[in-house]
Amino acid sequence: MTIDMSQFYQVFFEEAGENLAAMESLLLELDVDAPDLETLNAIFRAAHSIKGGAGTFGFSDMAGMTHVLESLLDRLRKQELVPTVEMVDAFLQAGDVLKSQLQAHQEGEEYEDPRVAEVSEHLERLAHSDEVGPESAPPVASDAPAAVVSWRIMFAPTAIGQGTPAERQALHEALSELGTIEELAGADADHCVWQLATAAGPGAIEEILAFVCEPSQVRLEPADSQSAPETDEEAYGFFVEVSGTGDAPPAAEQSSDQDDPGYGFFADAPGAENRSEDQDSLQAEDADQDQEPVQVQESTGYGFFLNAPGAETALDQEHEGFGLFGGSPGMERVGAVVKQERLDDEFGYGLFNPAPGFPEPRADDEAEPSARSTTAAPPANSTSERASRTGAAASKRPATADSSIRVSVEKVDQLINLVGELVITHAMLAESASGLDPVIYEHITGGLSNLERNSRDLQQAVMSIRMMPISFVFNRFPRVVRDTAASLGKKVTLKLVGEDTELDKGLIERMADPLNHLVRNSIDHGIEGPEARLAAGKPETGEIVLRASHRGGSVVVEVSDDGAGLNREKLLAKAAKQGIPMPDNASDKDVWQLIFHAGFSTAERVTDISGRGVGMDVVRRNIEDMNGRVEVDSSAGRGTHITIRLPLTLAILDGLSVRMGSEIFILPLTVIQESIQPCAEQFKTVVGKGRVAQINNEYLPLVSLHDAFSSGQPAPDPLDGILVIVETNEGRAAVLVDELVAQHQVVIKSLETNYRKVEGVSGATIMGDGRVALILDVDALVRLNRRTG
Amino acid sequence: MNDERREGSAVATDSTREYLTFTLGDEEYGIDILKVQEIRGYDAVTKIANSPDFIKGVINMRGVIVPIIDMRLKFHLGQVDYNEFTVVIILNISGRIVGLVVDGVSDVIALHGNQVQPAPEFGSVLDTAYIDGLATLDERMIIMVDIEKLMTSQEMGLVDQTHLVTA
Repeated sequence: MTIDMSQFYQVFFEEAGENLAAMESLLLELDVDAPDLETLNAIFRAAHSIKGGAGTFGFSDMAGMTHVLESLLDRLRKQELVPTVEMVDAFLQAGDVLKSQLQAHQEGEEYEDPRVAEVSEHLERLAHSDEVGPESAPPVASDAPAAVVSWRIMFAPTAIGQGTPAERQALHEALSELGTIEELAGADADHCVWQLATAAGPGAIEEILAFVCEPSQVRLEPADSQSAPETDEEAYGFFVEVSGTGDAPPAAEQSSDQDDPGYGFFADAPGAENRSEDQDSLQAEDADQDQEPVQVQESTGYGFFLNAPGAETALDQEHEGFGLFGGSPGMERVGAVVKQERLDDEFGYGLFNPAPGFPEPRADDEAEPSARSTTAAPPANSTSERASRTGAAASKRPATADSSIRVSVEKVDQLINLVGELVITHAMLAESASGLDPVIYEHITGGLSNLERNSRDLQQAVMSIRMMPISFVFNRFPRVVRDTAASLGKKVTLKLVGEDTELDKGLIERMADPLNHLVRNSIDHGIEGPEARLAAGKPETGEIVLRASHRGGSVVVEVSDDGAGLNREKLLAKAAKQGIPMPDNASDKDVWQLIFHAGFSTAERVTDISGRGVGMDVVRRNIEDMNGRVEVDSSAGRGTHITIRLPLTLAILDGLSVRMGSEIFILPLTVIQESIQPCAEQFKTVVGKGRVAQINNEYLPLVSLHDAFSSGQPAPDPLDGILVIVETNEGRAAVLVDELVAQHQVVIKSLETNYRKVEGVSGATIMGDGRVALILDVDALVRLNRRTG
Repeated sequence: MNDERREGSAVATDSTREYLTFTLGDEEYGIDILKVQEIRGYDAVTKIANSPDFIKGVINMRGVIVPIIDMRLKFHLGQVDYNEFTVVIILNISGRIVGLVVDGVSDVIALHGNQVQPAPEFGSVLDTAYIDGLATLDERMIIMVDIEKLMTSQEMGLVDQTHLVTA
């Protein structure tokens, strides 16, 4: 293949990322005591998809990692092993390694970390923890196309004169002619372990090795990727010599013991040909790995399957076939789990691998005898045939079932801009038409109101493209909670509420860090240790609730815990120590706000989780950057409740338009506290210059828009204006404007696209009449005022 | 004369380039036509606080916020008044869109490289850094302006200088 794969990298990165995320959430969902077979299968498929993609794109480190992962998973889902907490931990670690690897590749680097070897060794140890299990005679090949006989080749490169990397490479190439080879360990010159997946027997391998060394210096042992070595050997022997029929019943019985006998047959049928078929399945696997991401060969691949028996009928039996297939573990729920089309696809391919290489009659012949020796003989034939149909059906699904497309955010933003234009254009038209006699020009006014309705609908529809459920952020928290709680020796459960709440994609991405801080803080400082909880008469396990909901025009995200709550006295003492001025009888709300001060931490000791006093400060800043607000509520011994209020989208702002002279400005609604009509006594000066406004016994700095923006017009009498009290990050301030005009939802546009940053202004927007209005940045305005005023 | 001009524009070979000429007071200026996006009338601008007087403000051009510069104020030429004949040249300079207010747009001309002669040095009286040269057409002098250099210069304050480095 000479196709430049790099153009598809991005697709792989995105998919692998999704698969990893899905795998992680499934792992966390997995109940170790009562493992759900379907969950296990879904995890396996996620891992397998990553492996396939990584292999295709030549990210061998990732492929290697997933391979080990898959081996253990495979045994789990075949119920040869019982999942343990240790395994889940190992899987999660492997997931982390994969994530780092993925990220490294995304940045065009190789990921180097001793953790890789550690984790994969751990996984392997787990996978072989029951080497001598009596019922460990599994069907060798399952529906996964990766069913190959693997040989582990162990040697010391220096001893056999293969010390240099170049020599090793040559050997590597020679061996890879037999099949796929991967280096399990081989970085150092003392000890090399390669795993060769091949159809050729040990003789062939030895032959090649003999070219370079004494065969005795190389240890060759079977190490099947899908199952334990002995089992593999057994199965291998059986299928090759066809004499070991005695082994078949246990295998078959075991499979019929499972929920679905069909599964056993599937496993048996291809497995029967395991040996000679390996070559084919290898090739086929290669081929479909090529096809998978590229998709251009879809039609070829399909035609290929058409030749297979039962393919004609497959078209109308798609559902039946699929249903049957669904009987095998997890398949029904595939739809509910991850990336179903892709996975069906793989199953289809996997099943079909034998078909091209092996004419159906032969496959039947072989399947039948082995099936007859089992208790479930009669359905054997039809099962394998239907399986082929299923394969065909499944393989044709991707062509029709793809219901979502990936579009770059820029395209969506462009669409939003254009629709915004449409709305403005309509407003202009409506204004021009407003002078017309509605009786005479009835059709124009009618058309305009239709246009208005349609363009508003269109605007909403386009806006909703950017909207994503908040579960994209929430989903990472089960893991965060689990890990953090474990490292602190606390027991915490996480409850997610309202994960379907949608908000702007841009906001979702920026929510992740603040929420992470808050949740970790809650676990570290909020939730007490199990003993302390019991002593306080609370259940041993603490609970953290993440809740998202729409409230009015904004999204509210709440983080609450049932922990110890904030300690008022401690906070006040700390404030006094740090010289933060506090009124004598500060309200609870003011006290709680202290936690957002930079460098403020009440933790007795600094842990790696929290306590450095930067977290909450950053949280508040991040949220305010999104035009949001944070509020804290707490009650000692009962817990803490943090509320984050965010606008629905970054692109739209709720604002109040104010007039200054002939210009209109927008004040973000979130910063406005109140507006009042001033009276002369309220205006005071300090040293004749600094102007303050007295509001409810408080002196607030007075910002006159006229002065700040040196409008050039004579400033009108302040008594004719309106004072808008705003909240800035330096406290409250009073902004003097000429008039309040109206409340709008405005589309935020950047001034910097074609101009540069303007002080005191955070952006611009286009008003209904087509004019540009500047959006005020009150924080910067106060700073500006201090300099000019 | 007309023939000559037509011929010039028809044979726009690699050595000839087309320029848009506009007037500021009594002077005629030429800018590279490839930088010109469109020409439109002047309508209400939104003033930007604390900016130099030649930056009139920003307008909404089909959803894009475009700063408007009055070249007459910048070069201190011509009568600064805004009426229905006031013309704004919208330029697209390496992706940034800027509008120039001028007295009037006169023509599109094609000029050979050798028709442009370098501008004499004026020393400290005048900074000629943004002037490519002077050309003669129908006995009129046309001042060739390197509009890209001018618009991105620090003096104009149109672009954050940090932006320029990255751009």
